Parts: sequence; structure tokens; C-alpha cells
Amino acid sequence: MTPALPLVALGLVDAAFSGFRAYAGRDARIRKHRANLRAALRGLGVGAVLLLAPALTAVLLLLTAADPARAYATLAAGGLGYLLPLTVYATAVLLSLAAYFVLPFRASTLAMVIGLGPLTLIRPLAVATACLGALLNGGGPASLVVGAMAGATALSVEPAVHRRWYRHVR
Amino acid sequence: MPELEISDLITAVDPDNGRRLPVRRAAVVEQLRANGDGRAARLVAGLPADQDGVLDPGAVDRLLISVHTELQRLSEELRIGERLVHLLGPLLTAIRAAGHAGPYRLVDIGCGLGYLVRWLAATNALGPDVELVGVDLDAALVGEADRLAHAEGLRCRFVHGNAFALPEAATVYVSTGVLHHFSEPALTEFFRAQADSPALAFCHYDIAATGLAPIGAWMFHRARMRHPLGRHDGVASARRAHSDESLLRAAAAASGMRPLLYEPRRAANPFCTTLRPVLGVRPHLEVPLRQALGRTSRRLLGPEQFAQAAR
Repeated sequence: MTPALPLVALGLVDAAFSGFRAYAGRDARIRKHRANLRAALRGLGVGAVLLLAPALTAVLLLLTAADPARAYATLAAGGLGYLLPLTVYATAVLLSLAAYFVLPFRASTLAMVIGLGPLTLIRPLAVATACLGALLNGGGPASLVVGAMAGATALSVEPAVHRRWYRHVR
Repeated sequence: MPELEISDLITAVDPDNGRRLPVRRAAVVEQLRANGDGRAARLVAGLPADQDGVLDPGAVDRLLISVHTELQRLSEELRIGERLVHLLGPLLTAIRAAGHAGPYRLVDIGCGLGYLVRWLAATNALGPDVELVGVDLDAALVGEADRLAHAEGLRCRFVHGNAFALPEAATVYVSTGVLHHFSEPALTEFFRAQADSPALAFCHYDIAATGLAPIGAWMFHRARMRHPLGRHDGVASARRAHSDESLLRAAAAASGMRPLLYEPRRAANPFCTTLRPVLGVRPHLEVPLRQALGRTSRRLLGPEQFAQAAR
């Protein structure tokens, strides 16, 4: 199975969350569901465009490889190694989110304090671990390049959306 | 040395007439340096000032509105509104049950951008017989709170000035994240002023002074706040937070009010209780309040129960 599809899906979901975070803390209104949704869509759009860079790099690596089949297998192995730590991270985020929305306020505070807050902070660490996973799983330098680009892209969506639309308080 | 918050130092108001006073940047920088806080001093040194070295009031207002808007995000994420309603709901039930006729007036002291008041107005969580008023000494924050309330058509109002000099008496005084700004003697005076007013109760939430609080504050402000001032003051707030003992001691000096702590350190999980309140209720309201709280009233401790729990 190619890890490309789950990686793209993960990247796009992360971009939507990044869009939401770029907007969060810039609008003090109480009712802002629509604005939250718009911010998430902006993140999704920006993420989709930026994620083209690692995707095109991977395609370029395959097209220029002496042995495309072998290059594909190496990238696929790297992709799987990259996906595994991110899946663990994404599962922790989803569980924290579910706990936050479903549980009463005391338990939701717990989900925020030990879950969502620290998990936002360790996003660069999650990307670094994913890159390491790509290397350890036999992805080689090519996977590292693509993985590092994808990670940098994911981390840059929030500041990009923030700078473009939410630099000023509304 | 006591922790200093930058936002406390870069604005000054004449307490008698609420008028803004000029703040000299060099004086604030010097004060922060003398307090051993070089990072905060550098932040203030970077703020715009005029040729006389007086901080630009417009720039300071914009900065504080921006930082408070980010701060509101923390209140939203930690569901501060629900946390307050959990206690204010039963408190108002007790007031109604004790035969005090409405309408009731809830006054939020040091409301800032008025998140709590606006959230209560938007959700109507306390009922239509509760008038919601936010008061703050900072004109810019109150003005922004008012603008936001009007933009959403919320039934609440905001007043620039002293919460104890309002033309109409409060039924209940509340606040969130204000108490740590006071020294213990000032805190005693603060509670006393409420006990001397016709108010039936007060309920002030502030950061729970636990060992985890400064670490949690650092992490959250790092993850959620963009401006370094917000990050700095967030951690300083947690370090300045009053202990359960000092809150209860100060509240006990307000004669005519029964001092109570809800979810103090020994009765709550510190991971679940980032903010906890100190209450003062007229003595005849304690029994109906406990009845309205039901099983959770065991988390409500008076000085004697608190001392017993400490043993």
C-alpha cells in the first residue's frame, strides 16, 4: 500500500487545523463558528498549495531516478516510516479533541492541559520524529528531503495564513 | 522579589477620576531591571514613546487589546464561562430561594474585554432576571468590550471606572484573573469593600496556586499567545497567584460575609482546576447555596473545614 494517500490526507487535515489556529486569538467575538470554518478552509487551501512542493519533489525524484521502481520502493518505505509517528501524534490529538468536546468542563480542562496544549507545542518535534522514522525505515536521503519539505510546509501553513488574513485583531 | 506584570506598568490611571496618566518608558524599564527581569525590560524598551519618553498611549492600547484578545482564547479553551456558571447558577438559585427579589445585578470587576459578561449574555446562562455589567479602569479595554457587545447585539453593558462607585448596587461581584494583581493587604481591602456594599455575595476566580501553575502557564502561553508580552505576563500571573490560605485569610477579614473556597488544592485535581474561586456569601445564603450545589457542595470549604482538611 502506498503511504502517499494517508500522508496527503493527514497533511490537509493538519492544514485545516493550522488555519483555525492562525485565526484563534484574533477575534474576541463570542459567536464565530462561521469565521472558524472560514479560517479552517483558508488553512486547507494554503496547505493544499504548499503541499504541492513536496509532492512535486517526490515526482521529480521518481522521474529522474535511474531505477524508478527501486526509487519508488525506497520512497514508499520512507513514507511508511514517516507516517507511523505522525499517526501516533494524530491519534493523540484526535483523542484529546474528542475528550475536550465530549467530556464535562473539568475533564475537558484535563484534555486541554495534558493533551491539546502540549501537542501544539511539540509539532516540530513530531515532524522531526517523522523524518527520523523515514530514515530508519530505509527511506534514504530522498525520503528525508521529501519528508523535511512536507514537515516544513505543514509548519508554515499557520504563520502563512496568520500573516495573510489574521495579522490584526478584528 | 515580587513578580511584575508588564501590562500593570505600562498604563496608569488616576483612581479618583479614571483619567489616564502619562507613563515614562525609562521609569518602567528601570523598575523591571531593578526587579531582575531583563527580558521584560527589553520588551518595554521596544515600545513606542514620544520625544519626552512617554509611552504612546494609542500603541499601548492597541497592544493591550491584542494581548487580551489572545488571552480570551485561553478562557474559551478552558471553558471559563461554564466553570463560572457551575457555581454562579447555584449561587443565584440560593439568592432567589432566600427570598431576595430580582432583578439581580452581576458586576464583573476588572472585566477587560468583558469575555465572561458577553459569554453569559450570549448564552443567557444565568436567566433573564440577571443584569450583566462589566467594569474596568482601563478605558480602551472597556470601549472594546462595549464595541464587541454591540456588534453581536448582546444584552449587557460596560462601564469605565470604579466597580464600587456604580450608581446601582451589585447583587454579586465576580472577577476572573484579577486577584493576583493585589497584594495581600490590598486584597483584604478589596473583599472588605464588597462586604461593606449591599452585595449579597462575591465570587472571584483566579489562578490556582499549585506547583504546576507556572509550568502550565508557560506551556499554554507559549502555545497560544503570539506576543511576548502576553507570554511574559501569563507566567508572571501564575507565579503571583495567591495561595488558598492567603485568599481565605483575606476574605475572612470581610466581616458580614462568610468566606468560602471552592475546589481548593486538597479538594481538586490540579490538572482539572486551573482557576478556582474564593467566595463570600451573606451568612444566611450558605445553606441554600450548599443545597443548590448538591453533592458538589463538599468541594466548598469554609475556614474551619479548610483547617481540618489541612491537618
